[in-house]
Amino acid sequence: MSSTNSVQTALDLLVLTVLSRRGPLHGYGIATAIEDLSEEALRIDEGSLYPALHRMEEAGWITAKWMVTENKRRARIYELTRAGKKQLAAETERWSSFSASVARVLRHA
Amino acid sequence: MSWISRIKNGLFPRKLDDQLREEMSDHLARRAAALRDRGLSPEEAKRQASIRFGNVTQLREQSREIRLSAMLESTLQDVRYSWRGILKSPAFAITAILSLALAIGANTAIYSIVDAAMLRPLPVAEPDRLIRLALPRIDEPGSDSSAEDESFSYPLYLQFRTAVGDSARLALFSWAEQIEVQIPNADAPIEKAVRQFVSGESFDILGATPALGRLFSADEDRVPWGHPFAVISYDYWKRRFQSDPGILGRRMQIGGKTYSIIGVARQGFFGVEPGKFVDVWLPAMMYSKAAFTSQTWSWFRIFGRLSPGTTRMQVQARLQPVLRDHQEVLVKGFPTMPPAIRQQFRDADLRVHPGATGASNFRETFARPLWIVLGVSAGILLIACSNVASLLLARATARAAEMAMRISLGAARARLVRQLVTESMLLATLAGALGWIMARLAAPVLVGLLSRGKTDPVRFALSMDTRVLLFSAAVSTLAAVMFGLLPAWQASGAQPIEQLRDVRAGLAGKLRLGRFFVGIQVAFAFSLVVAGASFLFSLRNLFAVDTGFDPRNVAVITLSSSGLSDMTQKEQLNLLLDQLQTRIEALPEIQGAATAQSMLFDGTHWSVQVILPGRPPSEREESLYSVSPRYFSTMRIPLLAGRDFEQRDRSESSQPRPIIVNQAFARRYFGDQNPLGRVFQTPYDGMHLMSMRVIGVVANSTLSSLRNGPQPIVFTVVRGTNLFTLYVRSHLALGSVVRMVDREAQAIGFGTRIREVTTLETLIGSTLLREKLLAEIGGFFAFLGLLLAAIGLFGLLNYSVKRRTREIGIRAALGARPRALVVLVFREIFGTVGAGLMAGLVGAIALLTGIRSLLFGIALVDPLVVSTAAAVFLAAAGLAGGLPATRAATIDPTVALRHE
Repeated sequence: MSSTNSVQTALDLLVLTVLSRRGPLHGYGIATAIEDLSEEALRIDEGSLYPALHRMEEAGWITAKWMVTENKRRARIYELTRAGKKQLAAETERWSSFSASVARVLRHA
Repeated sequence: MSWISRIKNGLFPRKLDDQLREEMSDHLARRAAALRDRGLSPEEAKRQASIRFGNVTQLREQSREIRLSAMLESTLQDVRYSWRGILKSPAFAITAILSLALAIGANTAIYSIVDAAMLRPLPVAEPDRLIRLALPRIDEPGSDSSAEDESFSYPLYLQFRTAVGDSARLALFSWAEQIEVQIPNADAPIEKAVRQFVSGESFDILGATPALGRLFSADEDRVPWGHPFAVISYDYWKRRFQSDPGILGRRMQIGGKTYSIIGVARQGFFGVEPGKFVDVWLPAMMYSKAAFTSQTWSWFRIFGRLSPGTTRMQVQARLQPVLRDHQEVLVKGFPTMPPAIRQQFRDADLRVHPGATGASNFRETFARPLWIVLGVSAGILLIACSNVASLLLARATARAAEMAMRISLGAARARLVRQLVTESMLLATLAGALGWIMARLAAPVLVGLLSRGKTDPVRFALSMDTRVLLFSAAVSTLAAVMFGLLPAWQASGAQPIEQLRDVRAGLAGKLRLGRFFVGIQVAFAFSLVVAGASFLFSLRNLFAVDTGFDPRNVAVITLSSSGLSDMTQKEQLNLLLDQLQTRIEALPEIQGAATAQSMLFDGTHWSVQVILPGRPPSEREESLYSVSPRYFSTMRIPLLAGRDFEQRDRSESSQPRPIIVNQAFARRYFGDQNPLGRVFQTPYDGMHLMSMRVIGVVANSTLSSLRNGPQPIVFTVVRGTNLFTLYVRSHLALGSVVRMVDREAQAIGFGTRIREVTTLETLIGSTLLREKLLAEIGGFFAFLGLLLAAIGLFGLLNYSVKRRTREIGIRAALGARPRALVVLVFREIFGTVGAGLMAGLVGAIALLTGIRSLLFGIALVDPLVVSTAAAVFLAAAGLAGGLPATRAATIDPTVALRHE
């Protein structure tokens, strides 16, 4: 697994998590939510969020539609799909088992 | 992303770019605002936001790439993959594409005719503002008909024009008729052309323009017989005159008058009657002079163009009082008119219809059959779709493992559905293209069938234009969705674990669905077979109707004697009729000859009201047919009482007029009493009465329609007419008879010559054209439906035998006899076919209820029809199931048990 890929996977997982916990959000909302969740530990270029969103949209994990938001501006709102929820479950499973085995190795070392 | 937005993005990449730009700048703005809230200056906030975001252009480019390439790639991939899949199983592909193409082709061909005849607006300017006038048809009491009368008289037309004022402009169009013309003068050979009389402003009101010269104007509406000018159609100009640019001023003879051509109408303008192409337009003023003053001589339709802002209702309101006054005057002219009919005249409401699609006799006759046929071909499409759906299901089994593999490798269900739907779309597109080609070839043939046996053929502007193409494409897409979606959904729902463990596990459901599709096919196909059988049997019944005469070996020849006037030279004409008849009777090999005033079955005979002494005038009018002496013996209609006509009956002085009636007439008016010598009166020219005395009674015979059973007929002796029909009974070939008659006609002089030649059997056949056509089309569709259903049954059984090979092998190994195995196979579809047949029967009853009036001598649930249809259907099902059943019966247990 190359490093860009693992960053991508991590980013995907974060976005899916945010959307599943907070419901439909626009890109800026997702970015600030990731900031909040990771307590600013994970700093990414905010812009790189967008290609990731668009890729996930193509994959069918999230859908998007234009909506008018609180400040009367048009914003693109993203929402989790069923496929996305499945993906999130699968990824979470993988991550937790991965981190569990890492923890196990560390304990017994 | 949905396909639609995918395609949109592909077609309008700029829009995608705008969206990306907007989304990202929205983010920057929000971030900057947040930073400002923390106390940064606006400029600093903007700068920070931009730094945190990264390279906007590059990111946008990246996103754009993702969107477009995903779209292109996955679509291309789908298509490539589908194409490979189709190539991999050519038998499946050919069956699917052919059956779909047949169905799509049938739908498109029929739609193109429906479109040309009924839906497409006339090729004129602003057809939506055109109107067409009509009256309810005056019916004999008791008959229930929604038919309309579109014919009007000239005096009424003039009153309408005055009353309508500035709310609309009205124009008259006579019926387009085939007539004889000679170009340029009376010495030239006789040709046929389609002629229509129009009022001066007709062209202007329709918005038709000339290609050459000028069209008529209001100037042509002034002097009866004062405007000997003709406008010809572009088509006629091209066909007859080879587009001669010097056509203007050329002369032609039409109906004995000389006209000079003043213009050619623009290309594509064919008049107001879809189904007919007018060759020559003449000014209405050139019609018979007496028609301009007669209240009862109705000879044209009225069209009009609404002025901007006026509605049809407003026009109706202006014209209705005029009509009411006119009807009041009209009924006063007929004192013996039965009260019920009188009331209908008084109550008649003028109908102002939209005129955009013109008016058409063809439409009246064929509208219902065409819609029915279109509905039936939609049924064929459904059969084909469920056929392909069940084929796809069977194929899905073969691909179950592949699907399971792809799902376990992480393909999303939606992606698989899309893949499979692409495959369906590809199939439908290929089938649609093929079907369109079939339709192009079939539509003109169909139109040819419609006008078969007519001297005046039906013609349509059958352009396969965008409308038809769109229809075809829509039908194909609909088909793809219908046959593709359900199997695709089911195939993509494969459970990887089960599938990989055992291919047979998830199949029960698929088979159920397959049965369902086959059941649908059986139902539709069976109702088509029942309908087809009904048409065939009703045609047979019509042919079996006793006409009352012997139609074999009778030549029917129409002659004219243009050298004698039927107004002033009646005596000479009487003599001529007698001479011709006796000369032909004297020829060798001739069994009989007689003349009559018009041709049987051509629907144009007179009718008389019957006023018996001491009784009220009859409510209905009876048919009147004028024949020469020895007509009955020539036609072999038995004379039951009294005597035949003789020469002396012709004389004007024989009063009351001697008549011969048929049995139906005698029974209706004289009951059991002896009709011979009885006298009744009949009104003529409105106010006058004429007496008639019965001198003979003949057996019943048919005059116009085979459908209505024996109708009362009054026969009178034919008198001085220069256009008449000659019946010649002879075993000689028609050609020899015609040559002999031609020789005698020339010998007799006075310009006597043959106009039309046919046989009595052909005439009877020509009254059944519609029925023949329906029987042919119905038979064709029944066959198509049967074929498709048989393919469906075969597919299902074949698949089921394949699936149960191992089970059948075990049974065979355990000693099951071949017959038991065949039963085993057929049992699989027994319930399906049974249920399908029942549903089909219900469907057939519904269908037959709708087409009842087109059938003859067929009960709604006719045992003969239903049992024939069922026998045919079961035979086809047996054939379709035979092959898989044979295979099951001959399965080798050892091979079968190793089969995996």
